[in-house]
Amino acid sequence: MATITLKNITKSYGQNKVLDNVSLTVEAKERIVIFGPSGCGKTTLLRIIAGFVAPDSGTLFIEDEPVADSGVIIKTPQERNIGMVFQDLALWPHMSVKENIAFGLKAKGVSGAEREERIREMLELVDMSGYEKRKPSQLSGGEQQRVALARALVLEPKILLMDEPLSSLDAKLNIRLRKEILSLQQKLGFTLVYVTHNEDEASDIATRLIRMDFGNSI
Amino acid sequence: MRKRLFLMLVIILFAVIGVLPLLFMLFKSVTADGELNLSVFTEILATKHQWILMYHSLILSSAVALLSTFAGVLLGILFGKTDLPFRRFFTVLFVIPLLIPPYIFAISWSDLLAGLNYESFFGLMGCIMVLFSVFLPVPMLLTIFFLHTVDPRLEEAGLLAASWKEVMTGITLPLLIPAVILSFMLVFILSFGEFSVANFLRYDVYPVESFTLFAAFYDAGPAIAAALPLAGAALLFLLAGELFLRKRSYRPYLFSRYKVLTVKLGPLRRRLAFAIALFGFVIVIVPMIILLVNSGGLENYLEAFRRAGDSMFRSLGFAATTATLMTFFGFFIGYLVHTKALAIWRMADAVTIFLFALPGTVIGIGLISLWNTPWTNIVYGTPLIVIFGLLAKYTALTGKVSAVWLARIPSSMEEAAQAAGAGWFRRIVFIVIPLMWRGLAVAWIVGYIFSLRDTSVTMLVYPPGQDTLPVRIFTLMANGSPELIAALCVIMITITLLPAALLWLILKTTAAKVSLWQR
Ligand SMILES: Nc1ncnc2c1ncn2[C@@H]1O[C@H](COP(=O)(O)OP(=O)(O)O)[C@@H](O)[C@H]1O
Ligand SMILES: [Mg+2]
Repeated sequence: MATITLKNITKSYGQNKVLDNVSLTVEAKERIVIFGPSGCGKTTLLRIIAGFVAPDSGTLFIEDEPVADSGVIIKTPQERNIGMVFQDLALWPHMSVKENIAFGLKAKGVSGAEREERIREMLELVDMSGYEKRKPSQLSGGEQQRVALARALVLEPKILLMDEPLSSLDAKLNIRLRKEILSLQQKLGFTLVYVTHNEDEASDIATRLIRMDFGNSI
Repeated sequence: MRKRLFLMLVIILFAVIGVLPLLFMLFKSVTADGELNLSVFTEILATKHQWILMYHSLILSSAVALLSTFAGVLLGILFGKTDLPFRRFFTVLFVIPLLIPPYIFAISWSDLLAGLNYESFFGLMGCIMVLFSVFLPVPMLLTIFFLHTVDPRLEEAGLLAASWKEVMTGITLPLLIPAVILSFMLVFILSFGEFSVANFLRYDVYPVESFTLFAAFYDAGPAIAAALPLAGAALLFLLAGELFLRKRSYRPYLFSRYKVLTVKLGPLRRRLAFAIALFGFVIVIVPMIILLVNSGGLENYLEAFRRAGDSMFRSLGFAATTATLMTFFGFFIGYLVHTKALAIWRMADAVTIFLFALPGTVIGIGLISLWNTPWTNIVYGTPLIVIFGLLAKYTALTGKVSAVWLARIPSSMEEAAQAAGAGWFRRIVFIVIPLMWRGLAVAWIVGYIFSLRDTSVTMLVYPPGQDTLPVRIFTLMANGSPELIAALCVIMITITLLPAALLWLILKTTAAKVSLWQR
């Protein structure tokens, strides 16, 4: 059973044809890395999978169920249960680390005791125990990264999308966090779709590497 | 789905408040006994008097628009782009006349000049002068805002190869052209619709006519016919704005990590600051001092409270209520415009701006012609009609404030919440509103001030015994003593500026040390 299937997906912004007839099948527990130059449409592709953007034509299936089809979003992002780590991380600055992670659990109606437990486990997993009360602005780049990961993974998504998550970190930290992402993926077994323009990073993460170029069809 | 439904409801509600009355009024004016009848228009257009009034209005608005655009853009550049000393203070100083009912400055100047036996202040010259100082902040603020939309990196690139003078004339100032055009049009339309100053200074202008026709004869027909050119002018303004502004997207760098580059004034600095201080003193401080002096002692203030205390408290109540509702509507309309969540977003944007450009008298007449029925006394006979009128007229302001504030919040903030499974209401309540509460506070202040200072809508629609302070002052002017009027004006200025200053201070002291999205 394929986890994600893109069938002839096309997306344009005005005259600018960003995705041209893209088809792709992602199997469960794969680590797909999408690699390509800046502006070639990597983020657009992720946003279509996440449900923020509808494809102009083509169909997107998640777990073999159509979730978007030719300009229509059938399942909204909040219904897809896909985790996402944004390029700017998008940690909510007015909430503490704990509140950031708790937000999705509350939205899904996870009760108090269970919520506490899952947050605790998650923080342990990303090695951030003890940082509960900090605000995102009081964290270093690597720490913010881990919180963003924890926030996405605490909801136990089957799919995690990451959009150039390590691009703002220095080389050393970049390599360390790559390892952490890999080990988290092995532990939790989610399907990973990872976008980067860093060749080195791509080959480290990928079980399958997909090259994109301008106006491309994969 | 909930999002679209809710936004749709907000828009429909706003349309009932603001648009329905106008449509109804228009419909009533072109029909008689159920048939199409344009006689009110042909009659009114055939009278010579109308054309004279139109001419007066055009002269006055053009003069005010020209003068204040010229001076305002100049001040805007100085305050927004240079290292002029006290530029923040000056900005606030020059904004004050816009915040209080415009005729107050007319009262003040005529008090002074009448004392000097100088009669010619009445009429066109006086109107130009007062409205100039009232609307000067509009081009000034627009210029400052537009200067903040100039990407500093463009200028830096220019500065590598050229001097500031060349960069200013070659890069920065051309980007200001839309601000200049917009300012001129906006001031023109605002002066065109303003009638309290012209009325007080006895200069017959067009909006006074529709007001008196309506107030004197309670006859909507001619008043509507008289109002139509005003609506036409507002529509033209809207079209022109569309033409000049839609092309470019205005991302305010004001809020981004890029700091606006400032030009060093060099040896001119002190002299310029002194000249501007003098100018500000004359057009802002002097009128207020005159009022303060004329208001005499405590007994005049006590008298003022006795004669108008009820109106004062009503004013505060109306303004606070309206500001709250206006922030609500403004937020959701701003959200709609920012996210383009419904296909009608452009229409909603245009309608609020049209209503803002429309003279308050026209909105007032519309409201009365719709709600003045035995079944709708709940609106017509209560402060609701005042609140409706103010909402219709000024929601554009809170809408724009909200839209600008929303533009500084990265869309990933809301998207991250969506990916975490949060529905729209949850995202609005826990993510969007907390991230922009300062913007909402600013919107509220703006809504409060403009509701409080309004006469153009309120004067027409207030139910018996439910007037506001600016209206009460206006009516007392006919027979009240100058001391009493001066004291009332001082009170009016105080209740406007004090809460605004307080809220501003709160915002300042709670200002985030680090900008939220800078990592
Ligand atoms: N909302 C949008 N409106 C218009 N153009 C867009 C939008 N989002 C992306 N684009 C354009 O689509 C192209 C691909 O963008 P993106 O997917 O962000 O590329 P990448 O992530 O590979 O750098 C770019 O040319 C970009 O300007
Ligand atoms: Mg990208």
